Amino acid sequence: MGWVARRIGVSLLLVWIVASIVFLAIHLVPGDPAELLLSSGGVAPDPGAVAELRDRLGLNLPLAQQYVSFLSGVVRGDLGTSLVDEYPVLDEILLRLPRTLELIAAGALIAVLVGIPAGTLAALRRGSAFDRIASGVAALLLAVPVFVVGTLLVLVFAQILRWMPAGGYVPLAEDPWRHLTLLALPALAIGKGLVAVVFRMTRASVLDALSRDFVRTARAKGLSPSRVLMRHVVRNALIPVLTVLALHMGTLLGGTVLVEYVFNWPGLSTPLLRAVEARDYPMVVGIVLTISALFVLLNLVMDLVYAALDPRIRHA
Amino acid sequence: MRTTRRTLIATGAALPFLRLTGAQAQRTPGLLRFGLSAFPPSVQPWANTGTAAATVKLLIHRGLLSYDTKGNLRGELAEEWRNEGAEAWVFRLRPNAVFHNGEPVTASDVKWNLEQIAAERSTAYYRAEMQGIERIETPDERTVRIVMKSPIATLPNWMASYHMGMVSRRSPAGQPIGAGPFVIRSQERGTSLDLVAFDKYYKPGLPKLRALRLVAYADENLRVAALQAGDVDLIEYVPWQSMASIEADERFKLDTVDGPFMYLLFNATRGPLGDARVRRAIAHAIRRDDIVKAAFFGRGSPLEGMPIQPNSEFHDPELSKGWRYDPAEARRLLAEAGHPNGFSTSILATAQYGMHKNTAEVVQQSLADIGIQAELRLPDWATRVSLGNRGQYEIAVNGTSTDNNDPDGLSNLVNGSLSPSYVRSYGLRVPRLEELMAQARAEFDTAKRREIYRDAQRVVLEEVPIVGLAWRSQGYAMAREVTGFKNMPGSLSFFSGITLEETAIG
Repeated sequence: MGWVARRIGVSLLLVWIVASIVFLAIHLVPGDPAELLLSSGGVAPDPGAVAELRDRLGLNLPLAQQYVSFLSGVVRGDLGTSLVDEYPVLDEILLRLPRTLELIAAGALIAVLVGIPAGTLAALRRGSAFDRIASGVAALLLAVPVFVVGTLLVLVFAQILRWMPAGGYVPLAEDPWRHLTLLALPALAIGKGLVAVVFRMTRASVLDALSRDFVRTARAKGLSPSRVLMRHVVRNALIPVLTVLALHMGTLLGGTVLVEYVFNWPGLSTPLLRAVEARDYPMVVGIVLTISALFVLLNLVMDLVYAALDPRIRHA
Repeated sequence: MRTTRRTLIATGAALPFLRLTGAQAQRTPGLLRFGLSAFPPSVQPWANTGTAAATVKLLIHRGLLSYDTKGNLRGELAEEWRNEGAEAWVFRLRPNAVFHNGEPVTASDVKWNLEQIAAERSTAYYRAEMQGIERIETPDERTVRIVMKSPIATLPNWMASYHMGMVSRRSPAGQPIGAGPFVIRSQERGTSLDLVAFDKYYKPGLPKLRALRLVAYADENLRVAALQAGDVDLIEYVPWQSMASIEADERFKLDTVDGPFMYLLFNATRGPLGDARVRRAIAHAIRRDDIVKAAFFGRGSPLEGMPIQPNSEFHDPELSKGWRYDPAEARRLLAEAGHPNGFSTSILATAQYGMHKNTAEVVQQSLADIGIQAELRLPDWATRVSLGNRGQYEIAVNGTSTDNNDPDGLSNLVNGSLSPSYVRSYGLRVPRLEELMAQARAEFDTAKRREIYRDAQRVVLEEVPIVGLAWRSQGYAMAREVTGFKNMPGSLSFFSGITLEETAIG
C-alpha cells in the first residue's frame, strides 16, 4: 500500500512540475496578450486601452503572485479564464477533450482493424508478395507526413469526387450520420501512422510467437492450424502490440494538431495552438496541464496494473 | 458466422466507393454559410479584435454612419449629419431604429456610448479620438450635438467605423445589445456562430437572409476546399494561389480589391537608418514587382509612394510613383550618405504569415543588390509585435490596412509623435509631416485638404518615415447563387460584412 501511495505522490509531483515549467515558459516568451488582442488586424492600439486591458487581466501583478493564484486555483479545480474572452478554461477543455479522444480512438480502431489482420497475414506468408507489398506500404505510410495525406484526402474526396465534406464537426446527437462522415477523413489521417506501427509490431510479434515452444506443442497435440493461430499465436502476439498502440495513443493527445487543423476538427489541439499564438496564458497552461495529467495518469494506471500482475515490481 | 464477417468486411471496403448522398450539407433556403478565416476572439463592440470580429460586429451592430458600396459615407442610425462651425457636428437620428431588446435608439443612448468609449477605463479603439470630445449635447431624443476640443473634419469617418457600433445603454454588463440586422442565436467558441435576422431592423425588407452560419476555417486551403465541396457559400481571405482556379470555375464568383498593403519600417535610432538618404536609397532599391509575384502570386500592385488609393480623390499620379525602382539612384544616395559599399543590417518579419516572410525575402535580395547585407529575423507573430513595439529591430516588414480611405487614416503609420508601435517606425519624427497631417484633419474644404496632402506626400517621399511596397488583393469568393454581397473598395474591404444585409442566396 505504501508503494501505491508513493507512486501516486510521484505522479502528483510530476504534474506540478510540468504545470510550473509551462507556466514559467509561456510567461517568459516575448509577446503581450493585451497588446496582441488589441493589435489584431495589424493596427496600432491606443496605449491607454492596452494599459487598461493589462490591468483588467491582472497582467501587471508580479509573476510570483500570478503563479500562486494559478496554483491555488488548480487545487480548487479552477483553471482560470481565457485572457481573450474570459471563457472558463475548464469548460473549453471539457468540451473539446472528448473530441480529440474520439479522433484518436477512431484512428486506433482503424489501425487495429487493418493492422492486426494484415500483420498476421504478412507474418504467416513471410517473404510472399503480400508481405513485401504490405511492408512497403507500411514504410510509405510512416514516411509521408500527415498534412500531405490530410490535404490529399480533402482534395480527392471533398474537392474532386465531392463525396465528403471538406471538414468540420457536427455533434453526434445532432446528426449521427454526418458526424461519422466528418470523422472518417481525419480518423483515416490519424490512423495511417498507427496502421503502419500496428502492422509492423504484429508482424514481428507473430513471427516471434510462431517459433515458440508452446506453438510447437499445440501443433503436436493435434490442434487445427486455425485454432493454433487464433488461440496461441495471435493472442500471445497481441500483448506487445497493444502496449505499443497505447503508448502511441498517449503521444497523440498533444499530437493531433495538424490533423485537427487540416480538417477543421474542433478538438483540443486547435485551441492550444491559438492560445499560444495569442499568448493566452491560462488557456495554454490549462490545456498542457490536462494533457500531461492524462499522460501521467495513463502511466500510473499501467504501473499499478503491472504491479498487480507481477508482485516483483512492488518490491523492487 | 464466417459469411457474416466476410460480408461485413466487403461492405466496409465498399463504403468509400458509394456516393454518400448525405455527406454534403444541403442548402437551406434563406441560410447563408460563410467561411471565416478566424474565429472572432470577442465581439465586444468598441475594442479592436481583428477583421473576423469586424464582420460579426457589422452584422449585429450599427453605428451612426457607414459606407455605401462606392465607399461614400451614408447614414445608419443617423439619417442626417452636418458640421456647425469648425468644432461641432450634429447627428439627426432616424425615428424607426430600435435595439434588439425592442427599445428605440435615442440620443441618450448615443451620448452614453461615446462616454463609455472615451472613459478612463475603456479599451476602445477610438478611445483617444473620443477623448477629444469637449461635450455632447442632446437637445431632444433624436439630436446629438458633439462639440470637439479642436476642429475635426474626419469625425464622420470615425463614426462610420465598425468599432463605433452603438449599443443600448440598458445593456447588461458584458452583453451589449446592438441594433444591427442580425442577432447571435448561438455560438461554439472557436468553431462557429449562428445568427438569425432581426425582425425589427430599421431598413424595410432587410436583411434578406433569414439566417447566417459563420464557420471558422483557419487553414486557407481548407477554406477554399469547403467552398468547392459546397460546405459553405461564401469565403473571405481567398488565398492568392487559389484565385485563378476559382475564377476559372463557373460555379463561383471571385470579388477582389487592392486594399491592404505591405510596407517597411525603420528604427531611426540604429546606425545608418536614421539618415533619410539611406531610407530613400532603400525605397528606390526594392523590386516591387517581385514582391507582387512572390508574395501575392501577381494579385496586387506595386506601391511606390504614400499609400493613398488610386481611386481616391487625394491620389496624385505623379507623387504616387515617387519611389520608382532605380538602383542607380539608390547607390548614389547611399554613397552620398557615406555608405558607398553598403552596410550590414537586419530585417524583422514573421514566419507565421507567408506574405510577410515572402515580402521580407524579396526586400533582402533587393537590398543585397545595392550592397546592403540584411539578415532575416522571422519569429512568430506575437514576438514580432512585441519586438516592433519596443523598437528592437532595424528594418521591419509589416502589412496593414488603413481605417478608411481618407488619407487621415495614414496618420497612425507616419506620425512619430504617437507612442511607439509596431505599425510605425521607431524613433523617427518628421515634424513638418505631423503639422501637415494635423492641419488636414482640421480642414473642412476638400480642395484645400487635397493641397495639404500633396505637400504631405512630398515630405513623405523625401523623409521616408515608411516605404510603401505593394498593394495586396483582398478577395471574397462565393457560389454563383449568392447575390448582393460586395467587396467594398480599397481599405474598406474589411467593411464588406455590411453588405450581408442585402445578400441573398437562391
